[in-house]
Amino acid sequence: MASIINSISFKNFFNYFGEFEDTRYDFEEGVNIIVADNGAGKSKFFNAFLWLFYDQILDSDDKIKKGVKDIAVKIISDKAKNETPIGDSVETGIQIEYSTGRWKYQIIKSFRATRIRENITSFDSWQIVMNDVEVNQTDHILPRYKPVFDAEEKNNVIKQLILPNLRQYSFFQGEEVDSIIDFGKKSSIEDAVRTLTDISKYESLVLLTKSFKLKAERDLNRQVDLNDAQNDRFKKANEIKAELEKNYELETTKLKEFKNLYEAAEKEKNELEENFSNAERRNEFDIKIKEQNRKVNEVGEEYSKFLETLNSRFFDGNFSWISLGFENIEAEFQHKIQKFREVHYEKKALKNISNNPNKQFHFLPLDSPDSVSLKNMIEKEHCFVCDREAKEGSHAHNHFIKLKNRAVDSKKDIDFVKSNLEGFFGGLQINAQPFYNKIASIEDSILKTREKEIALNERLTKLKKELKFLKDQKKDILISGTEDENSQSIINRYKGSIKRMEQSSIQIERLEGITKRIYDSIKNTEKEIASLVPSDIPEGYLLHFNLCSDLAEATVKAKERVFDNMVNLLEQYANEHFQNLIKYNELAGGHLKFDKTPSGAIEFNYIDNKGNLVSGAAEGFQRMKKFSVVMAVISANTNKYNYPLLADAPLSAFGSAFTEGFFEATGKVFPQSIILVNDLYDKDDEMKINELGKKIIKGDLVKRVYVNQVTEGVEQVELVTTKIKLK
Amino acid sequence: MTSQEFKNTILIKSPHYANSRIPLIQLLANKGSKKSEYSQFGPIYELYIYAFMLGIKKNLRLPLPPRSLTTEFAKIGTWKRDSSLVDFLLMIVFTRSEEIGFEWNDLEEMEDAELNSVISKIIVFIEEYANGGLEYLHGLLDKGELENSHYMFIDLYKENLQDTISKSVKQNRL
Repeated sequence: MASIINSISFKNFFNYFGEFEDTRYDFEEGVNIIVADNGAGKSKFFNAFLWLFYDQILDSDDKIKKGVKDIAVKIISDKAKNETPIGDSVETGIQIEYSTGRWKYQIIKSFRATRIRENITSFDSWQIVMNDVEVNQTDHILPRYKPVFDAEEKNNVIKQLILPNLRQYSFFQGEEVDSIIDFGKKSSIEDAVRTLTDISKYESLVLLTKSFKLKAERDLNRQVDLNDAQNDRFKKANEIKAELEKNYELETTKLKEFKNLYEAAEKEKNELEENFSNAERRNEFDIKIKEQNRKVNEVGEEYSKFLETLNSRFFDGNFSWISLGFENIEAEFQHKIQKFREVHYEKKALKNISNNPNKQFHFLPLDSPDSVSLKNMIEKEHCFVCDREAKEGSHAHNHFIKLKNRAVDSKKDIDFVKSNLEGFFGGLQINAQPFYNKIASIEDSILKTREKEIALNERLTKLKKELKFLKDQKKDILISGTEDENSQSIINRYKGSIKRMEQSSIQIERLEGITKRIYDSIKNTEKEIASLVPSDIPEGYLLHFNLCSDLAEATVKAKERVFDNMVNLLEQYANEHFQNLIKYNELAGGHLKFDKTPSGAIEFNYIDNKGNLVSGAAEGFQRMKKFSVVMAVISANTNKYNYPLLADAPLSAFGSAFTEGFFEATGKVFPQSIILVNDLYDKDDEMKINELGKKIIKGDLVKRVYVNQVTEGVEQVELVTTKIKLK
Repeated sequence: MTSQEFKNTILIKSPHYANSRIPLIQLLANKGSKKSEYSQFGPIYELYIYAFMLGIKKNLRLPLPPRSLTTEFAKIGTWKRDSSLVDFLLMIVFTRSEEIGFEWNDLEEMEDAELNSVISKIIVFIEEYANGGLEYLHGLLDKGELENSHYMFIDLYKENLQDTISKSVKQNRL
């Protein structure tokens, strides 16, 4: 009977904050979909199964799988951590219920963390105690679960959900589908066939019949040795055969080595080809991310520089914040300087009078008229003060000239005080203007500064958000391990692998010729030996040897035929699934073709209607081909496939036209599938899914649909994933 | 003494600060680009002027310890060159002439020695109000009341005027 997952629940597991009953997802036989935007707990959900099967969690920071205990602190919901006082503890776990046949099981894995220090994210702040795995069992008739105590039995319950050797076809995340079947590697397709067919029985049969043949040959030779009538020619023929066999083995080993070289080079070439196909998309993101990084840095720098120089506005004459609160300073100073000037000029006047009593009578303020007016008065021979004519040479005109030159004479005034500080005080008043003139507008200036800071901060936050979004998108199209490799090195390695393939291909051809010749010689020698067999050897030995030889040869051929048939069957199913997957796509109908390469590996190509190879297709298309083969492997299986498909973001590179086909196809192949996707998410839609999503969930095969959501715009410690059940 | 000579005599003076203020100055002025958890001024003179003005605003005048327990600080003339900031400071200083103990007009009649003595009093005035301001900041730091905000200095300066910027920042974020 098929294993069907009934539910999964979380307790304070990453963003899934709360008790098991708060976070329960129910599933049914058929297709189950969880739609979530990036960051809304898709991969965390998948992590629950990693914990269940392997006691591991994928660390999203470095994309490395780590032991649950080692990164336990990261697993606990930040909100739960934050709400746990020092000295208290918090429980974190996952709970999965599944049924198979009449039995239903409940598996709980969990740990308890006790907070001992302030900083919630530090690993030193928590003591972790792993709880025993809890497994409970019931049949559908019994009302409640009974615990399973035996450790081995507990393990078996977990194994039975998806058998370990089948997990690679049933349980994968994003790009992992690429590594399930690697068509450049002979062992990969063989592994798939071996896991799902009875070819391994044929292989043991091949070994068995080979050993029969060797035994029969040894028995026959012993009889010949014992026979008195043996002659030198017979002995010699046997020696030659032994020599030939030795040679054959030597050349076969060499051939095998070149085949391995070829296979390795071919594998590298295929891997790099895959990288090429999405290098362009990755490159697009790289350019966008680089540009966005530059913007973030630029605005970030502007922002931190702005904050750093905030305090300099106290002293900058354009802002003059230091004057804040000194509104009265101008008036006070003015009052003082006026008083000072009165006394100052009084002294000056007195001094002048004592030097020149005629200066006693002043009708005009000191130092007036000013020098410009005086110059006009001299030129126009007219006194503007008393509005009378003053012809050149007259007493009045001479007085103008004297007044005009008084600045030169004023040096004589210097000693009317010991230190003349009029200039000092006057200078202060004039120079300090930028600082006391702006006092009234400082409050406004501070508010404007704050507004500018808010605007900068908002801009920076927005840019960072956009950057994170780009990085999340790029993450979905990454092939692990190739992130840092530049395209030039990919090109060089690609060319290198093709050259190595060519060189080993020549050697393989040469050695295949040699081994074929040696093999023929061995066969001919065997015939010769048969003719040289002395007549008095018991007939049974010879017959036995010939029978065993034929049997061994037939079994090898049978095995090859079964393998070839299986590959043909796979090709047939793969094409069937492939056509289903692409049926909503614009692609012209082509054909998936399996061919044997010199190394014996299976080459997997997409051929158009005219028989031409279609290459360089996008990553989504490549993955779709592989997925067709994964499903073909399952369909070609002689037994019914009894395990659910659990996949996280399998569609991210597919494109929407493939997505629809994918849900239909998977519903037909797997008894149950639980698919986590973001491609159907639409933030602005009332139901939070896009039009394609709405179309897909109407399908009969789709049984349950949830949409995950996280609270927007809150701090990490408040982040909680909630769900909406759509079907 | 001419006006220029008088001004120069003030500008070449170097005020002192108490040695006990050194940690505070290191914390709040970022001369060697050392980052602190608090908002910082750039050069030390900025903090010094700020402390002086704060002392004046809050009327905090505090004598310094004996000279041997103080540190000499940059000449006033080197504070914020190419700016009239020092003129503004002197404007404030000279409006407080009664408190310092001189009359503007009397200055004009003094011998150089007497003028120098007045200038010394002016420097002590600056030093003591700056010391008062620094003491105030020191007290807040010790009590843990220094707000860790970019607007810390403006808030301290604005106090009693209206809500502080830091508070409004917090409200904005809520």
